[in-house]
Amino acid sequence: MERLNELARDILAEAKAQGADYAQCSVSESEKKEFNVDGGRFSLMRTLYNRNVVITVLKEQRKGTVQINQFESEAIRDAVRDAIAAAESGKPDPAWEYAEGPVEQEFTDGAPDCDTDKLFERTKELLETIRLRHPKILMEQMITEHDAGYEVFMTSRGVTYRTRSGAYSFSLMYSGHEGEKSTSFYGSDIKLKDLDKPVIECGFIERDLAMVEKQIDPKTLEGKFTGPVVLAPYALAEIVLWTIIGNFVSDSCLIDGTSIWKDKLGEQVADPAFSMSFEPYNEDVVVRSRHTGEGYPTEDFDLIRDGKLVSFVLSQYGANKTGGKRSGNTGSNMRIKAGEKTLEELISGIEKGILVMRFSGGQPAPSGEFSGVAKNSFLIENGKITEALSETMISGCVPDMLKNIRGISSDVLTDGDGSLPYIAFNGLTISGK
Amino acid sequence: MLQDILSAKKALFAADVHTELRGQKSRNRRVVLLNGDIIGNVRSDVSGISARVYRSGVYGFSSMAEYTSEAAETVLKAATENAAFMDRHAGIGKSPLPSLPAKKIPPKAELHDPEQKIYVDFAREVDAYIAEHYPKLASRRVVSTEDSMEKLLVVSDGADAHIIAPRSYLYVMMTAQTDAGAPVELFKAFGGRGTFDLNFADPSALYPEIDALYERLMQKREGIYADAGEKTVILGGMMTGMLSHEAVGHTVEADLVLGGSVAAHNLNKRVASDLVTLTDFAHTAFGETCPLPVYVDDEGTEATDAALIRDGILTGYMNSRESAQHFGMQPGGNARAWAFSDEPLIRMRNTAVHPGKDRLEDMIASIDDGYYLIDSGNGQADTTGEFMFGVTMGYEIRKGKLGRALLDTTISGVAFEMLKTVDMVSDKLEWSSSGFCGKKQPMPVGMGGPALRCKVKIGGR
Repeated sequence: MERLNELARDILAEAKAQGADYAQCSVSESEKKEFNVDGGRFSLMRTLYNRNVVITVLKEQRKGTVQINQFESEAIRDAVRDAIAAAESGKPDPAWEYAEGPVEQEFTDGAPDCDTDKLFERTKELLETIRLRHPKILMEQMITEHDAGYEVFMTSRGVTYRTRSGAYSFSLMYSGHEGEKSTSFYGSDIKLKDLDKPVIECGFIERDLAMVEKQIDPKTLEGKFTGPVVLAPYALAEIVLWTIIGNFVSDSCLIDGTSIWKDKLGEQVADPAFSMSFEPYNEDVVVRSRHTGEGYPTEDFDLIRDGKLVSFVLSQYGANKTGGKRSGNTGSNMRIKAGEKTLEELISGIEKGILVMRFSGGQPAPSGEFSGVAKNSFLIENGKITEALSETMISGCVPDMLKNIRGISSDVLTDGDGSLPYIAFNGLTISGK
Repeated sequence: MLQDILSAKKALFAADVHTELRGQKSRNRRVVLLNGDIIGNVRSDVSGISARVYRSGVYGFSSMAEYTSEAAETVLKAATENAAFMDRHAGIGKSPLPSLPAKKIPPKAELHDPEQKIYVDFAREVDAYIAEHYPKLASRRVVSTEDSMEKLLVVSDGADAHIIAPRSYLYVMMTAQTDAGAPVELFKAFGGRGTFDLNFADPSALYPEIDALYERLMQKREGIYADAGEKTVILGGMMTGMLSHEAVGHTVEADLVLGGSVAAHNLNKRVASDLVTLTDFAHTAFGETCPLPVYVDDEGTEATDAALIRDGILTGYMNSRESAQHFGMQPGGNARAWAFSDEPLIRMRNTAVHPGKDRLEDMIASIDDGYYLIDSGNGQADTTGEFMFGVTMGYEIRKGKLGRALLDTTISGVAFEMLKTVDMVSDKLEWSSSGFCGKKQPMPVGMGGPALRCKVKIGGR
């Protein structure tokens, strides 16, 4: 860490010497151990030694950024020169603003030390357990890894964060097979602080494997109807949550004025049961994002509280451009407040609808309208899951959906980054052949 | 340019295994203008060395963020140890990979490094043109970008190579509002292989196409929702390219075949109408250089075309050396890596349906009630061949004539079923190359095709 600290100081001194009005840098070193399974068998072990340097300078309110992965003084000198040249080629923008010091903080997060043998054993155990309990599942690819490192973030205004962090992560992609019949592929991901328990017990891995195994013989839905759709956590994020962030509440859509929520702060935008927050300091989070790219310390914040829009997701730059207020972080570690019904109870009230585990759709329009294929989905009839579906499309409009929430589950997927429930929405268009 | 410090390390390769040692420099330049403000102005230069060792059916890999002789030795040792660890704990005792003839392949492209000002000035000039001519736009975004890689590859057998692969683009995105206040947008990418200075000398050369983009946006602003359901459509060349890549290409990547894709059970069977022939071109197609030519891959295999569908019959897969051994096929140079710290994976290069004999006008005239779908924002497909593409620009066809523009929609289907409905193929090939294919790593790819008349499911409101 001391070497990185010195390097960061040298970069800032070099930037000052070359004429920068403001400079900041992130200097990091990391090591990754990774095992790969392909087509159901071990295929590869990787060891990666990485470095990264990101330098941002301001000169006369013009900004330039350079990224390199060399630590040698000549490379640093050239990188600073390139960053300043990039800034000089731009035009002034008084909205660039960075944190004022003094701030000096040091953190250790997650699992900074790797137990490689244990990682291999847990990977092997997971593969064997799946083979035994879910014989119809073929593991198309599984990547298990431990990634850890040191980062020093330092600015010319006396802000310094030193972080040592690491985490284990497991990423599974699989499908169900029987003879020539197969399901859509599905992915499960989890980030862990330790390897104390078998990985199949973490997150929704076991539940998802069992669901996918039941999708081998899907039926095609006839016709088109409007009805309730239950979105599982990943489908919920894909359709609803990323659209809220990307199209309605973040820097880009607020600066360019395309957000349809730009004048809705303080207004009811969703059902009162819906609350959405970003909480890097929640105890479930494995590696916390401690500071923003502009050097401000992060904090948890609510985006939507009881259906009311109470904040945007704005950087200081975005806040200055739009006359808004910088948010507590830049949108990490998303959480949706759990409801009170189990998934089974949520489904039990539905006469005819579908449950969607994954969504394959076009980029939702700026208005929040979307359509796409309901992947890994099931038909719900008379309060029960009856059969798996294929080639079923759904379409709707996110702002309308948020006001037509039928129920939110008490079961939540906690994956080491955030926490997401199942949500049932009324009134989506569901079409089969 | 990378100096060769790797060839001398061949003496350190273990005798009983297959070894690849690769040095790589990757660079990215990116300037983003949002309504005239420069919100992104970034240069990135990343380099390092990796080694990969194949032993009895398993691989060991290691990389280091330094291009030095010491780093080469460190990663060789670590990759060899990782391969030994895997062999000890999970080895399957496979025989060595069939060897390839030794060869040296020189670079086939130039690599310049224009200063950042060139990217900024060009984007600003284009942005100023749009701002001046189309002041009613709700927002505009102009991005100038380049991503280029240079690789030095040394292998225990096969082709040693020096690879230079630059590409550069200018993206223009315009957003307008409907009378009801709903935003609609359109996007266009200009450029292709080659560094930015070679591709973008004169901003005014782009203005006719920017004007056309604005015209289409104005039509879309008054667009209608497509009727949901199965329809006869004409897919434009860009959409055919997306189909070639996403819905067919991925299912015939041999690693995904081994992972259970639909192609596993369809080799040598009919998967499309006999009007459909599909190839993953290495570097040259129909007498011209492909959008992103690949002459050798990162396993040292000299690149050749992969014939995937011929006259409607599935004829082959895309392979790495290992998968080619498994399937008893010839490797054709599809194993490519993105960064120095990435291992080669089976990737497409320039995947396209071959053009046919029909004229686009005749194809449109042949449809009584359908759609002409021109451009796509994104696409995804399943290993089952079930696909979904976003449609960002299209028109209705009524009684053989183009009608109103469409608002954003999606199409979906199952590739090997939908391709059997192709009954007209246009005589013009259209390529695109500005995106990234996402697998474990990103990868620049080219894709293309003619217009196809076929049946697909279209999403409505």
